[in-house]
Amino acid sequence: MLDETAALTFRALRKWVRNPASIMPGLFTAMFYLALFGSSFNPANLIPPGAGSQASSILQATFGGAPTYITYLTSGVICIILVFNMAFGGIDLVLDRQLGYLNSLLTAPVPRAAIYLSGVVQNLVKVLILAVLTFVVALIIPNGLQLPSSFSVLDFFGVFVAFVLLGLGLSFVFTALALTVRTIDSLVAIVNFLTLPIMFMSNAFFPSSSFPGWLKAIADVNPVTKANEAARLLIVNGSLSSSQAATYGWDVAYLVVFASLLGLLGYFAARRALRPE
Amino acid sequence: MADIIHADDLTKVYRGKVKAVDHISFHVAEGEIFGFLGPNGAGKTTTIKMLNTLASITEGRATVAGHDVAKDPGAVRKSIGVVPQELTADDELSGTENMMLMARLHQVKGATARSKVETLLRLVDLEDAAGRKVKTYSGGMRRRLQLVMGLLHEPNVLFLDEPTLGLDVQTRSKMWHYIKGLNKERGLTVFMTTHYLDEADSLCDRIAIMDHGTIKASGTPAQLKEAHGGDIITLTLAQDKENLTGFLSGIEGVQGVTRDGKVYRIRLPKMEKALPAIVAGVVQKEAEIEEITFSKPTLDQVFLDVVGRSMRDEETSGSDSAWENIKMERTR
Repeated sequence: MLDETAALTFRALRKWVRNPASIMPGLFTAMFYLALFGSSFNPANLIPPGAGSQASSILQATFGGAPTYITYLTSGVICIILVFNMAFGGIDLVLDRQLGYLNSLLTAPVPRAAIYLSGVVQNLVKVLILAVLTFVVALIIPNGLQLPSSFSVLDFFGVFVAFVLLGLGLSFVFTALALTVRTIDSLVAIVNFLTLPIMFMSNAFFPSSSFPGWLKAIADVNPVTKANEAARLLIVNGSLSSSQAATYGWDVAYLVVFASLLGLLGYFAARRALRPE
Repeated sequence: MADIIHADDLTKVYRGKVKAVDHISFHVAEGEIFGFLGPNGAGKTTTIKMLNTLASITEGRATVAGHDVAKDPGAVRKSIGVVPQELTADDELSGTENMMLMARLHQVKGATARSKVETLLRLVDLEDAAGRKVKTYSGGMRRRLQLVMGLLHEPNVLFLDEPTLGLDVQTRSKMWHYIKGLNKERGLTVFMTTHYLDEADSLCDRIAIMDHGTIKASGTPAQLKEAHGGDIITLTLAQDKENLTGFLSGIEGVQGVTRDGKVYRIRLPKMEKALPAIVAGVVQKEAEIEEITFSKPTLDQVFLDVVGRSMRDEETSGSDSAWENIKMERTR
């Protein structure tokens, strides 16, 4: 099964690499969120001149100690990029079904699980590359992401562990969805219905502590919030204190459970979607 | 020869209400080219889908290469090659890349895969275009590529669903040449659907005519023509004064008469015997003959007789052709 999964994943990635322009929309979205949203919605802009350093300190504490709003925002934008690109990444799979390519796989001795897993992996690889590029863009833009001096390569991997787990869970569920629907219109309708609430009911842009109670309750169990919280701890602090490390550990464990459950759900949904007519 | 496909009372009902295939039984012998002929929506593609494991069987049983389709779909998939109606080769990959991928998915690897890909591409005259992306191929080249993509694992049975749909006459005849070659030289059993009568006549050892989900007739093209055909005299009168259908039907040897204005289509087993009586009778009725033509039996006549309408009427509906055009122009 691994060989077939690798062959099908390689097919998708080969096409993707040959069309580098396909990464641009995602990258532009990331840039606009970071440079434009990050500048115009920066809460520091609301502090009147002469309000003193106390106001700035309160703001910094609210944003988990992040030195700039873009530093706070970067992981949020990466999570949003993950959510949107995972969700719409399934369009290629719907096209494969509509154009008959999927049927040619289904009449070959290819395990159904390989068809599903190749969809999951190709989506994950594409979006994680975009996530890394977004991280680099955040570092490059003026007044952008400011990492602490203690931030190491290990911390970078720690940040991406959270993103990989979130991405894996999302890829499991959105790949199964793409194999289930029959038209691109249906996929777009469902995805549009899901993605905006996932984005706004999280701490992607603002801390959930500023939300009304009912929204905070939802945001705090949203896996996007957990991934953000874990990634931000490392982005803002670098080396973690023991309590911060415990929070990071719980968030990662939460994301492991999230990815596992969606993996199970996605597998059964995909198996159902790929059974004979 | 032993049967390689056996279908017994095969039935497919979609969503519990649409009966696409209705209790059909047939068999295909090893090494045979067997054709399913029928108008759009007759149930041909659904039958192929059941045999190649894409559609579940509602009722009945089918075996392919000795494996029960419902109970052992994995073994069936290893034994078959499928060339679908749609053009499914990946546009963004080259001919060779498409073939190598399909080889790997069928567990054909390494030097064996490379050698087979090379041989098969040469077989359909695509060796010069092998390195080009499929999106630069013509419709005929795509069909040829698709044909050999189904052969990499040396299947026992090749399923061809409308293999020449949307192709020009010259390319169609080339495809027939390739299919015949595969059948004769490699002994490959071919199960194909078509709604081109000349294709069925030229390629198939045996034919089954399907309509509304059932098999209306089956046999060799010669048997079908003998049973449902007969000679045809087409008589065109100068004026449409009197309806001569009843009179003509009464002439000895005449099997049937259809009338379209002043044109009469007279079916009879041997035209030579009844022709003098027909001409004499028409003259006696003081009708002037403008034109008289004769034709030998064709599958079109068989189809008309069996299904009750001409295949040409079906072809002009063009739904499949329109779909095909969309596929050809698609970009991935």
